[in-house]
Amino acid sequence: METLQYAIRKLIYAIPLLFGVTFLSFILMVHFGPDLTYSILPKSATQEQIEEIRAELGYDLPFLQRYGKFMKEVVTLDFGSSTSSGEKVSSILKKAVPVSFLVALPAFILANLLGILLALYAANHRGRFPDKAVMVLAAIGMSISYLMVVIAFQLIFCTSYGLNWFPVQGWVEPPPDYPDATAGEIFYYYWYYYWSYVAVPTLASIFVALGYNTRFFRAVIVEELNRDYVRTARAYGVRNRKIMMKHVLKNAMIPISTRIIITLPFVVIAGNLVVEKFFGIPGVGLVTYDAITNGDLPIVKAVVTCTAVLYVLALILTDIVYKIIDPRISYSK
Amino acid sequence: MTESAPKPVLRIRDLVVEFKTEMGVIRALDKISFEVMAGESLGIVGESGCGKSVTALSILKLIPSPPGRIAEGSIELDGIEVVSQPEHEMRKVRGALASMIFQEPMTALNPVFTIGNQMVEVIRVHQKVSKTKAKKQAIEMLRTVNIESPEKRIDQYPHELSGGMRQRVMIAMALSCSPKLLIADEPTTALDVTVQAQVMEEIKRLQQEMNMGLILITHDLGVIAESCSRVLVMYCGKIIEMAETGELYKNPRHPYTRGLLDSIPRVRKEKLKTLPTIKGMVPDLADLPKGCRFADRCPKVEDRCRTEEPPLEDTEGGGKVACFHPN
Ligand SMILES: Nc1ncnc2c1ncn2[C@@H]1O[C@H](COP(=O)(O)OP(=O)(O)OP(=O)(O)O)[C@@H](O)[C@H]1O
Ligand code: SF4
Ligand SMILES: [Mg+2]
Repeated sequence: METLQYAIRKLIYAIPLLFGVTFLSFILMVHFGPDLTYSILPKSATQEQIEEIRAELGYDLPFLQRYGKFMKEVVTLDFGSSTSSGEKVSSILKKAVPVSFLVALPAFILANLLGILLALYAANHRGRFPDKAVMVLAAIGMSISYLMVVIAFQLIFCTSYGLNWFPVQGWVEPPPDYPDATAGEIFYYYWYYYWSYVAVPTLASIFVALGYNTRFFRAVIVEELNRDYVRTARAYGVRNRKIMMKHVLKNAMIPISTRIIITLPFVVIAGNLVVEKFFGIPGVGLVTYDAITNGDLPIVKAVVTCTAVLYVLALILTDIVYKIIDPRISYSK
Repeated sequence: MTESAPKPVLRIRDLVVEFKTEMGVIRALDKISFEVMAGESLGIVGESGCGKSVTALSILKLIPSPPGRIAEGSIELDGIEVVSQPEHEMRKVRGALASMIFQEPMTALNPVFTIGNQMVEVIRVHQKVSKTKAKKQAIEMLRTVNIESPEKRIDQYPHELSGGMRQRVMIAMALSCSPKLLIADEPTTALDVTVQAQVMEEIKRLQQEMNMGLILITHDLGVIAESCSRVLVMYCGKIIEMAETGELYKNPRHPYTRGLLDSIPRVRKEKLKTLPTIKGMVPDLADLPKGCRFADRCPKVEDRCRTEEPPLEDTEGGGKVACFHPN
């Protein structure tokens, strides 16, 4: 209950920040955004036609009015229609966002979980061989480009040059219409195709993220290990395993959870650009990629603004998680 | 003090502790030997960096390693050799045979767990009892160290307590499994002057009640005079003098000890926060002089002091001193 109140207060405090990021999005995407007049009109357009289109696009409105219009779009989550397909942006995103989550989440969870475990292992042996081995591997993982990893994994797992276990590209289609398919069979169908399309992107994303995560988490854990309370627990005979998994981990979770939450909006939206493009997965990443290449402004505007807003919400979430982990943070702050 | 023949709870023989540093391997402790009897309180004094904390930590094998290690010597706790004890066996020693109170009550407790959680954990490391029973014991222990309304305090977090109270919690934790030896490394340095005396009282009272051996490390020679029966003076990783407290204060034999005592102001009421200073620099452990380590600062230095190291020898006062020209 207290936590809920705290959350609400944090949300209220975040309102100026939300105004800030949306205003910034407006300035960059709309006020100084690209002028679409000439991409819509033929080169031979008359002055009247130009004026007509500009009025239609709202370019002739004064600054504040344009901002008001933009804010209305943000609040109603209605960013107009795609200039290339004519479909409503909101319905495009409604389809794409769950796909992105489904693609990104397994990798996101596993890369963080494995990162924490490896970091605990390395930190526990800090300065000795296992630590050095893990850190060298992390450095190698970090220095290989995302694109190379994706291509290599596709070659290994999805082509006849390698194991050829998975399809290279694509996404789950609705099941064929068998009249007597049971719910179990339908579930199995989705489950099977979901993993066949998600397995390789997941492996590639884990490969890329794991090095960064492990390095960061290890640094945090090693710092915690040098704290006095660790020595105290040891001096009173508490087992090393318990010191690591209870005392150190809970303290380390304060910075670790921040990082995890803060990276979430990026992993789901921006970070998946490469993966979704290369694996032909119709998520936000692919939609954004296509929108940028086609100059489809309403979509880009919607994605940029939503990312900014999500980022602010993620910041609030970190505050709430802090509050849950760390008793030193009082509710009144 | 009991009448039965005193038996050492701690016997350290020729202990050498080394640290790997950028300047090479340094000897933080160089062949130190001493004993602590059951129920006895031993004070350790010496300038910053002389190896007091390293001595305390090595008894529980808590020297951070790397860079440190116990290179030579023996540490016997209640008849058990600690040096060769594997790490997983040390659990039975730490907190049970010997326990420790640290200087910083602010940071020495885990900030994200309640007092009760941490106390129950320690009790259950050493005793097979249920959580409820351990919590009852913990509350009793808090009562023993004179914490008011322990039932309430036990569910609080360290940051909700004052410094003095936290140090009492530390004492309660350290003593919750009735150790035979309590090591207190500057237990009151971080506290307010008024609280210092109370916490010291507490330690002394409990030491007597539980007939524990006590090692008290402090910068405060006044506290040692009040609380310890024997004093050990360290300099640069060596023991340079050891004597009964009365004897040492009356009749300091080592020029360094004399210097320390001379520089105490006559008016004792004003307690010393830091050890009085003696002019000159402490030599670097990585670059020790060949002979006596105190030679550069000693008023009685002669040629021999620069070439030979004085051994720790018995004095007629019943103590020991390492000097060619003791008083
Ligand atoms: N972690 C470490 N790494 C390297 N050297 C260390 C380490 N801990 C201690 N030493 C060395 O051991 C020496 C003794 O340190 P110690 O902490 O025992 O001093 P002390 O007598 O407790 O001083 P103080 O009064 O300041 O607490 C130091 O001078 C230092 O050279
Ligand atoms: S041995 Fe020499 S230098 Fe060292 S304390 Fe004694 S008199 Fe001074
Ligand atoms: Mg110290």
